[in-house]
Amino acid sequence: MKHPPYHLRPNKAVDRLFLIEAIRRLDRLASLREYTYYGLGGPYLEDFRLLYELYPDIKMVSVEENRETYKRQKFHLPCGSEALNLEKAKFKSYLSRYEPNDKKSIFWLDYAGLSYGNFGDLMVLLGKVTEKSMVKITLRAEPTDFIDKQSERLGSRAERFRQQFGAVMPDSAADPPRDSRTFACLLQDMVQVAAQKALPSAVPLMFQPVSSFYYSDGTGMFTLTGVVCRRDSAAETRKAFEDLHFCNLTWAKPKHIDVPVLSTKERLHLQELLPCPSGAGTILHQALGYRIDYSTAQTEAKLKQYAEFHRYYPYFMRAVP
Amino acid sequence: MGKDKPIQYKPVDASPVKSFFVTALTRDLKLEEAILDLLDNCVDGILRSKKLNSGEEPYKGFKAAIEFKRDSFTISDNCGGIPWSLHDYAFRMGRASDHPADKPGTVGVYGIGMKRAIFKMGKHCLISTQNGADGYDVEIKPEWIDDEGKWDIPVKAAKKSTNKDGTIIVIGDLYPGIAARFREDAKGFESELRRMVATHYAFIIDKGFEVSINKKAVTPRPTKLVFSTRRGKPKGIRPFIFKTRTDDGVDVFLAVGFWRPIPTEEEIAAEQEETQYSSTDAGWTVLCNDRAVLYCDRSELTGWGEAGIPRYHTQFIAISGIVEFRCNDASKLPTTTTKRGIDAASPLYLQIKNKMREGMRVFIDYTNEWKGRVEEGRKHIEAEKAIPFDEVKVEAGKLRFRSTTRTVPKGNQYKPELPSPKRLEPRKRRISFVKDVEEVESVALHLFDDKDADPSSVGERCFDLILKEARR
Repeated sequence: MKHPPYHLRPNKAVDRLFLIEAIRRLDRLASLREYTYYGLGGPYLEDFRLLYELYPDIKMVSVEENRETYKRQKFHLPCGSEALNLEKAKFKSYLSRYEPNDKKSIFWLDYAGLSYGNFGDLMVLLGKVTEKSMVKITLRAEPTDFIDKQSERLGSRAERFRQQFGAVMPDSAADPPRDSRTFACLLQDMVQVAAQKALPSAVPLMFQPVSSFYYSDGTGMFTLTGVVCRRDSAAETRKAFEDLHFCNLTWAKPKHIDVPVLSTKERLHLQELLPCPSGAGTILHQALGYRIDYSTAQTEAKLKQYAEFHRYYPYFMRAVP
Repeated sequence: MGKDKPIQYKPVDASPVKSFFVTALTRDLKLEEAILDLLDNCVDGILRSKKLNSGEEPYKGFKAAIEFKRDSFTISDNCGGIPWSLHDYAFRMGRASDHPADKPGTVGVYGIGMKRAIFKMGKHCLISTQNGADGYDVEIKPEWIDDEGKWDIPVKAAKKSTNKDGTIIVIGDLYPGIAARFREDAKGFESELRRMVATHYAFIIDKGFEVSINKKAVTPRPTKLVFSTRRGKPKGIRPFIFKTRTDDGVDVFLAVGFWRPIPTEEEIAAEQEETQYSSTDAGWTVLCNDRAVLYCDRSELTGWGEAGIPRYHTQFIAISGIVEFRCNDASKLPTTTTKRGIDAASPLYLQIKNKMREGMRVFIDYTNEWKGRVEEGRKHIEAEKAIPFDEVKVEAGKLRFRSTTRTVPKGNQYKPELPSPKRLEPRKRRISFVKDVEEVESVALHLFDDKDADPSSVGERCFDLILKEARR
């Protein structure tokens, strides 16, 4: 089983740190000691390593179906098996076995692809978790997957998209969008429709969004984090997250994460200018004195992103083994 | 015991109570269906106004706009309004038996659709309508609903006179459950309503009628069928078609065929693992006077899983059929009172269902015959074009039909001759087997340097290599 270098993807790393920040705020709703984190950690268990370092009280369960990746996970265990339980199972079958038993959960449905089954899993999960549980879903957001090649006639890719996702699309007859931003917005709408179907207004629980982003480290991805809460305590839940940087408490459009690749030397050079509340792109560009992308506009856009997300930007360093 | 005088029983009161109409009749009705009932009234208004255009888009120029907010629901149309002469039918609870027959093609039969839809949503309603010289407002207030003894509703001349004939219905004082759906489930509710309008009204919208929900137009999703229009090709992919006119004047047109290529084995296996398609055109759609009363049904109701037809399964995902019933007298159509379901016990429908199964059989056999050689079977379908139902009807006019006078129902049918696979030569054998995905990927990578190589090519290459070794 070959994996891309998950741990070296800067945009995903930023998103992961946003989850860590969101989990910190869960503490305002209930003690983190009451939570168990469930994730699809991949070969390096990166999210589990971070969680263990920052919130050692949270119990953790990793679900992995591939035998070899499972062995690799055992090799990368960041802690003892008391804190992290590695489960070798298909996520779908694990989900059907999962019983919260009145305990709170944090789930990261970290999918690499996009299928209707992903929304099915989300709906099942939202119907099972207890209130004050957090659910994050990450989906592939590549509009080019659904743009027809000239040779295709019957069963075009756009039609296939409608057949696959019609039940959760806001408009089941519409063509999928062709640009990344609108495609990410559509996926967010689909998550919202799925959440409203799983927890309709007739039941006392609802899914309150907390943040949503789209990014690309080579492949477009969309991610949304939310909390299952009682309808009558939605305001309290929103309050707990209102100081989260780039929070999305109203199903507003997802925020783009597009941080530039900067060397450590460049980052240290820019450090003293940050935070930079206005005109960050121009100021940082001037400080560097050269373009880091094709044009000045693109350079300044990237540096503005860096200014916004620099606190979450990981350092990739060469280390002595 | 003395000779007691027999008790004199008084006649019992069997008059209806208002709460029956307001709560009981609306209980089993889905909110989306209630709104479709209101749309039905718009279409009936067009047919009643006799302003239907001729040609391919008879409904062109007619519009209905649906808008829902957290505290109100509005539907407005330019579909002719409610003539004052029909007020007794439009506003009375149920249709009186002595009421004159409605105009041709309308689907309202029982006289409950509009009222039931209003009572489903809220306690206050203002209906403003303009029909020629008649322009009037009817206001239903919460006090009227609560008053068991009061059945009259006051009518006032319209406050505003408009140039166009049409009706506006505004429902307020929404019930909490309805308001919650408009507020908290808004995205999911609009998605479901849009899907239902796009499917149930696909054929009418395709013929020019415009429907918008919250100011955004609904795009129809009409079912298409693969239809080889190439003459001189005896074994092209075409639908099975049956048409008839019953003794009491119901026109029936049935077409069933493929709407997409038959599925590959991988597709079937993936669907078994988890649902891949949440919305497919497979199954039967039944139209009554242009309105879909069943959409893509895959149950016994439309013949699947009965009388020799297998139950629906993903392998039959490519099969789709449409039956159209048309009659000026809506009471002869095989629909239920909700107009959103088929009357499964209707003698007409039961007869037509025989033909539905007969037609389905042709395409089930094709799917089964090409099993194991799916790619070849798919190519025959991929070589042709899928066309909408209306075009199917036009193209059908060019085909040679056979009369079926000796069977029930009588009519004319076209049974396509589909390509069938040539039998394998006697000295050849088919091999098929199932292996773990990762193992297949590993071998594919080893052989073709491509983990996504076609699994059957991987299997065939393995065999060829071992054969070479065995014969060395």
